Amino acid sequence: MTDFLLLLLSASTLTIGLAVTSALVGLVMAIVLALLESTPVRWISMLTRGYILIMRGLPELLIVLLVYFGSSHVLFLLTGQFVEISAFFCGVLALSSIFAVYVSQILRGALLAIPKGQWEAGLALGMGRLGIFFRLLLPQVWRHALPAMGNQWLVLLKDTALVSLIGVNDLMKQTQIIASSTWEPFTWFSCAALIYLLITLISQYGLKRMNWYVTRHERGEA
Amino acid sequence: MLDGLLTTISTLSNGLLLTLVLTFIALIIGSALAVINTVALTLENRAVYYSVKTYLTLFTGTPLLVQIFLIYYGPGQFQWLKDSSLWLLFSDPFFCAVLALSLNCAAYTTLLFYGALQSIGKGQWGACAALGMNHWQTLKVLLPYALKRALPAYSNEVVLLLKGSALASTITIMDIMGWAQRVNAQTYDTLLVFFCAGLLYLGLNLMLTLMMSLVEKRMLAFERI
Repeated sequence: MTDFLLLLLSASTLTIGLAVTSALVGLVMAIVLALLESTPVRWISMLTRGYILIMRGLPELLIVLLVYFGSSHVLFLLTGQFVEISAFFCGVLALSSIFAVYVSQILRGALLAIPKGQWEAGLALGMGRLGIFFRLLLPQVWRHALPAMGNQWLVLLKDTALVSLIGVNDLMKQTQIIASSTWEPFTWFSCAALIYLLITLISQYGLKRMNWYVTRHERGEA
Repeated sequence: MLDGLLTTISTLSNGLLLTLVLTFIALIIGSALAVINTVALTLENRAVYYSVKTYLTLFTGTPLLVQIFLIYYGPGQFQWLKDSSLWLLFSDPFFCAVLALSLNCAAYTTLLFYGALQSIGKGQWGACAALGMNHWQTLKVLLPYALKRALPAYSNEVVLLLKGSALASTITIMDIMGWAQRVNAQTYDTLLVFFCAGLLYLGLNLMLTLMMSLVEKRMLAFERI
């Protein structure tokens, strides 16, 4: 029993690692997508919009399987050799692509929510463009975007379960293995559910604290 | 190339009906449950309130895949359940998929509906109280209003449910995704197969989104006056 629990715990760290890596990669991708979508070059922004629309309409499972099986297929077509790509890498790629699509919309919304007057205020104070962006706008973007991004993080955390289907040995996969070897599926899937729940609740608490911190000026503290 | 595309699409279309049926049944059961939960949350009964809240936390805090596996594989552990007539239901993957999807959908929809109900101005509750209405009469006035206001977010929920229904393929349901995985295993023509599956899902989503925007237009007509 304790052996199995230890296995589950070590698989949980993989799940968390997967989620954190995907979130970081996804955040970078999201910023790129948001920038591409707001470029004045029309065809680039249209293409990006189309990509985002398609990614939002596809089931997450489809994206995960497509990235995993599709990537080796593409490499086969390109090089004529069968190359196996690591499932963990494919999982991160799929999850971060899904995460990026939603977060780019959140970031764009947050940037648009900041009044134009802030730019002008910065200019009037003699600040440079970069200075305005990083010291004036970005801190406010977090304030607007953090609650929605927190939700997206929770969605990502739950989506990580999907990569068990492409063979990544995460919490879900480990649970499946233990459940089928002990013939106690109910016990072990409940355990897995509780661990996911625990991670979610801890995340929610952390996000609440972060939100409290970034809105401190609005509440007149500090 | 085009020939292969059409053949693949027509093969995958075998699962089209099942995907739609799964989505709609789960949507109807889930929404009905969500309305019941929302009303339950407004009652001033701590036991009811906390049990609904626990249900919401459990189902929104865990992955849908875990819920599906728990409901499909879980009951096999208990001999008494296997001996009872309930086993007929729980050994059927379709029933388990519908159950998991409905319970999941109900949890997220309850959050939506309850949020909309709470965002109604205090003045409206006060107005109802001033007119001498009791709790049920007040809900009868305010709940339809809140539900209509929740429609735009509800449309997103419908799309999420359709996408979530693809997970039913993991417990041997032959929906679009189930067929896609079978054809992929047979032909190894991965890109083509998943491209076609993607087209079908996008088409369904487009259809659902258009339908929901028509409904929204009619239901929210009062706001545009």
